Amino acid sequence: MNKTKFWIGRGIKNVILVIFSLFCVFPLIWVLIAATNTSVDIVSGVLVPGKNIVANFQTLSEHYDVFGASWNTIKYSAVCTVAAIVVCSIAGYGFEIYHDKVKDKLFGLLMLTMMIPFVATMLPLYQSYAKLGLLNSTLGFILPQVSTVFLIMLFRQNSRTFPKDIIEAARIDGETELGIFFKMFMPTMKATYAAGATIMFMNAWNNYMWARLIMSDNSAQTLPMMISNMTTGHYIDYGMLMLAVLISTLPTLIVFFALQKSFVQGMTGAVKG
Amino acid sequence: MRKRMIALFMMAFLVVGTLAGCTGGGSGDEGKKDDKANVENEAGDANEGDVGAGKLTVWCWDPTFNINAMNAAAEIYKKDHPQFELEVTEISSGDIIQKLATSTSAGNTADVLPDVILFDDSLVAQEVVSYPDVFMDLTDSGIDFSQFSEGKVACSVVDGKNYGVPFDSGAAIAAYRTDILEDAGFTIDDFTDVTWSEWIKKAKVVKEKTGKALINGQSSYNQVTVMLKSCGGSFFDEDGNLDIAGNEKIKRICELYLEMLEAGVYQEEVGWDTYIGNINNGNVAGAMNGCWIMSSIQAADNQSGLWAITNVPSVDGVDDATNYSSQGGSTWTITTECENPKLAIDFFNSTFAGSEELYDNILPSGAIATWIPAGGSEAYSQEVEFYGNQPVYSMIVEYTSKIPICMTNAYEASARQAVCTAISNVAFSGADLDEELVAAEETVSFEMER
Amino acid sequence: MKLTMRKRENLVGWAFLTPAVVLIVIMNFVPIAQAMLMAFQSGRTGNMTFTGISNFTRIVRDSRCMDALKVTLEYVVVTVPLILALALILAVLLNDPKLKLKGVYRTCIFVPAAVSMVASAVIFRSLFAADGFVNSILVNVGILQTGYNFLGHPSSARIILMMVRVWKMLGYQMIFYLAALQGIDSTIYEAAKIDGATGLQQFFKITIPMLKPTMVFTVVMSVNAAIQVYDESVNLTNGGPGNATMPIAHYIYRLAFNGVPNFGYACALSMVVLVVVGAMAIIQMKVGDRRE
Repeated sequence: MNKTKFWIGRGIKNVILVIFSLFCVFPLIWVLIAATNTSVDIVSGVLVPGKNIVANFQTLSEHYDVFGASWNTIKYSAVCTVAAIVVCSIAGYGFEIYHDKVKDKLFGLLMLTMMIPFVATMLPLYQSYAKLGLLNSTLGFILPQVSTVFLIMLFRQNSRTFPKDIIEAARIDGETELGIFFKMFMPTMKATYAAGATIMFMNAWNNYMWARLIMSDNSAQTLPMMISNMTTGHYIDYGMLMLAVLISTLPTLIVFFALQKSFVQGMTGAVKG
Repeated sequence: MRKRMIALFMMAFLVVGTLAGCTGGGSGDEGKKDDKANVENEAGDANEGDVGAGKLTVWCWDPTFNINAMNAAAEIYKKDHPQFELEVTEISSGDIIQKLATSTSAGNTADVLPDVILFDDSLVAQEVVSYPDVFMDLTDSGIDFSQFSEGKVACSVVDGKNYGVPFDSGAAIAAYRTDILEDAGFTIDDFTDVTWSEWIKKAKVVKEKTGKALINGQSSYNQVTVMLKSCGGSFFDEDGNLDIAGNEKIKRICELYLEMLEAGVYQEEVGWDTYIGNINNGNVAGAMNGCWIMSSIQAADNQSGLWAITNVPSVDGVDDATNYSSQGGSTWTITTECENPKLAIDFFNSTFAGSEELYDNILPSGAIATWIPAGGSEAYSQEVEFYGNQPVYSMIVEYTSKIPICMTNAYEASARQAVCTAISNVAFSGADLDEELVAAEETVSFEMER
Repeated sequence: MKLTMRKRENLVGWAFLTPAVVLIVIMNFVPIAQAMLMAFQSGRTGNMTFTGISNFTRIVRDSRCMDALKVTLEYVVVTVPLILALALILAVLLNDPKLKLKGVYRTCIFVPAAVSMVASAVIFRSLFAADGFVNSILVNVGILQTGYNFLGHPSSARIILMMVRVWKMLGYQMIFYLAALQGIDSTIYEAAKIDGATGLQQFFKITIPMLKPTMVFTVVMSVNAAIQVYDESVNLTNGGPGNATMPIAHYIYRLAFNGVPNFGYACALSMVVLVVVGAMAIIQMKVGDRRE
């Protein structure tokens, strides 16, 4: 009796999970199928994989610099991610390990930035950028995103789980403060770094509004900008468009797949409180 | 300990570096200005030698249409001026507007803006009025504006000055799938020289027999313009004052539009992509827009022979109704950041304002000239197989000559947007049309006061 | 010696957080201060003059602003609880150690967060087009006679925008709960089981109280994000039909960058948004400062 109840419960659980998984993943499956079809088939709702993927790719690479845009996006996101997790993890560590009243208050103040709507700061930022010559540059792209309160908080909360006596012991052994951070904190906190890197990479990769504002050179285009351009022409090749959407989504998926286990672990410290 | 010192030093360096970057802004800016002056001088020197040498940078947005035309123009110009270079950046119309806003506010137009920018005709006045120092006055530049159709030139005239070189025609056409019309028992003639009331009646039959809407559109934005311009209407009076509430023509157009929406013979689309997509896959039986829409229609090359074009319906019940109108079309502007204006003007004089060959070359892409001499060329009288062997180009040239001339205004786009919103509110939220038009006028006048 | 040691440590601490703090100040506080100044100016771009509080008095007369605020409010009230409830349920289901295919489910539900908004807009516009995939299914099943233009009608367009938001944020929020659940000591549940607590009792008596900090945190975060949302509607519907799907941040974006731009007014409106969101500040500060 108990056993059937158990199996029914299990069955319901799985059904719910399958439904939500399908809800979430279906649009992408549809893109995947669409990317293999011709434009005409896609708009008429064909739902079986076609043979047009190579042709779609040819059209895409003929009309758009898809490699250039991919490279730009990878470059911006990678630099952004590395810079952000270094800067934010040091800061998060600093806020926690060396915490005192002033630093705690300062952190509270920084939390205010989460409330600043980006639309409000876009224009002033652009004006400063114009003066500093940061337009169309990788540095310009990453600067507003490198230091984010969310990421600092992630590392700050996680630092709590880092045993203090290790630090004390290392200090007695004559290790420098920076040494402790790089040699001990970083390797133990792999999961947190994975979580931070995943979030950062996705945000940077998909950042369209900011890129659109500061990038105007052909050579600085990103994948989201390229996709956006594709939807305004006199003719829209859906096969090519869907393939571009697919290409623009794959890297973030791969990063998540690769880091997902540590991603969940890394978040654990952040939400423990 | 030493390591620690190095680390601290590095941190300090980073901080100082960032701060220095900020304060250094002012001086860097001055340096840039000097650079620009130098470049101008050099460019000036170069001009004395060969006018055609140098580079032009261009912003426009469609690889199969205006980018294609620009490149074709460069080909022609390069024949006589081998040292000429052209760099086109694909950038959507919306992004162009945004970049103008940001760069003028930051004062870095010199770094951002190209030499030549393409605008939709309805936006030229808005941009010139908003940024008076950005666009070059071309009135006495040597470009012969009398060779362009009058209504088209009017789009880029602000305070009596010419700010643009007209490019493609926005003459409105109605294009239909003759096979779908046939299924409903109609031919293209049934939709020629009709009024909107007749059109809606027939469109209902098409809907009933084939299940398809006759045309679609991205909200009511373009459709309202087609209808309004066909009877010489405007959102503004002759003095540039708002004239929406109590404007008979606008009210009549809204009523007709709402009628076709309700009957399901007009299908509203949210995005440009679905608008084009539904025309291409035959989900609607036709398209009504500026003639540049042909380039989108023709993209579905498997539908060759199935399409035919004709003029647009006339708005019955108002004065000055005609079967001719315009919507869209675009105009090249030259920015004041252009370092070599002589080159730019020479380029346009040899191409878009002076080359039949160019217009013949780009004709297959669907770009119809507004430069009158081009319309007389042989290419324009050819019969086009895609449209069941209609001489579509000469038909459009004829339509162009009959378009009522309408005024433009810097707030044209805002007014259009407001009327669209009014229509949407009536159609979907059951609001009262008269009240909504009053509200629309208030919205625009609110925007105009500052 | 001990004092100098602490002093030095303190200094190192400051050195550690300085780069991040300086960047945040330059990239957030400085521009927002500039925006505040601009809120008191109006005129043509590049040539603005101080006009006092005229931009703020203008807000009261702006009917479109009120509409946009309504859209925003609706957005927050519907999506935030919905996402959090669903995310919590899914996290609890996924936290079952005996569940097979956990990684697959987790990945599937997280996938949308990895898709850029530009791409999502393309996907959903085609899926919900009048003749798109969703409609052809509904027509074939017999629910609809002809295709319904989901994005062309105000209420359905708003629902779809909210749905896209749920779609995108669900996995992201779920991860937070999943992480929090994994932090709960499993012996607590075992003890409860011995005491004869049912699954539901365990959920309400143990899980919910243990997750409270996470819930406060995610609610604050997502309310914040929902008030500032604009790229969904910019990309997907462009605020249409009419202005039916235009939230306040999108309206600000439009004022600043479309048509004849009015930066001063756009900045004034952003200040209002800042104040509205600022009401959340107190809660947020408490969450951030809490230390036990």
